[in-house]
Amino acid sequence: MLSILRGFLILTAFLMLGDITVELFALPLSSGVAGMLLLTFWLLLRRRLSDDLGAASQPLIGMLALLIMPGVVGIFFQADEFSGQWLTIFIALILSTLLSSLTTLWLMQRLVSTPRERPDE
Amino acid sequence: MSELLLRLEILTSDLSQRPETAIVLTLAAYFAGLRLFGWLRSPAWCPPILLAACLLAGLLALLPLDYTEYRHGVGWLTWLLGPATVALGVPLYQQVHHIRTLWRPIVLTLPPAAMLAAGYAVGIAWLLDAPPQVLASLAPKSVTAPIAMGITQELGGSVSLLMGALLITGVMATLSITLLARWGNIHDQRVIGFALGLNGHAIGTVRAFDIGPTAGAFASLGMSLTGVFTALWLPLMWHLMG
Repeated sequence: MLSILRGFLILTAFLMLGDITVELFALPLSSGVAGMLLLTFWLLLRRRLSDDLGAASQPLIGMLALLIMPGVVGIFFQADEFSGQWLTIFIALILSTLLSSLTTLWLMQRLVSTPRERPDE
Repeated sequence: MSELLLRLEILTSDLSQRPETAIVLTLAAYFAGLRLFGWLRSPAWCPPILLAACLLAGLLALLPLDYTEYRHGVGWLTWLLGPATVALGVPLYQQVHHIRTLWRPIVLTLPPAAMLAAGYAVGIAWLLDAPPQVLASLAPKSVTAPIAMGITQELGGSVSLLMGALLITGVMATLSITLLARWGNIHDQRVIGFALGLNGHAIGTVRAFDIGPTAGAFASLGMSLTGVFTALWLPLMWHLMG
């Protein structure tokens, strides 16, 4: 339990650091993403992952879907504002996501399998 | 007796403004969604997050609780999105050797794929005569929530429409990538993971971690690179195109 808390302290400190970086350099990033990049760089420099950080990050990553839930339900309470647009919005989202998934998979698969080294998972 | 009723009345209005009410509702809907998902024998077309979001919306609609009040109260929980995003740096670091050997495909795939993720949506909606506010809300639909909110505000879109678009996109990306990978005989966790993170942001990333740690790491990478890249090019392009 204390290990999780220590890890949480590190994560939150990097979130703060991300906050400061974003504000200071007026970056078009969220502080979370800036913090994530900073944490990755720090780990790369240190070349060692502490148990604390592992213990705290695993449950948080598992919670990601839960954490965006309160935001996404907002759409159900905005129905009037975009009435008449729903069909368009649905078609655009579903079709475009299908197309872009196809594009990404195709591009990445082609580029990955061209060099001699074969992926073996 | 009347005093008790009065206290009850005060309590109901008071309770709706408290964080614990919002957090209890959110967690309860989340676990009910997971349970329901199990009962329905894990349908691929309807991930637990969609079930949970519908349950939560139903609860909020039935209870005398305003969505703005709810959002305010649940802030205690959603604040964790910050540290959780930072935590994605850990799998990223753990898989860095994989990423090093694949830097070329990653660098070459990211710009066209991220631009098309936004471009297809805006293009299709534009062809269907959607107003500019809708276009601006759909453009960052493949970007992780905290960055996407900033982008859509800059473009003049609606944050709540964007959040809905994020849900649909995440669910749809998870579904279509799973099916397309099966159909196209793609088993490389790195390819599937990267595609899930790039197109399906946090929802796709959660799915990628179900597949395996390598897929998860590539999804985190895809999600963060798409977020950073889109935050840079989309507002610029938007203003150039008027």
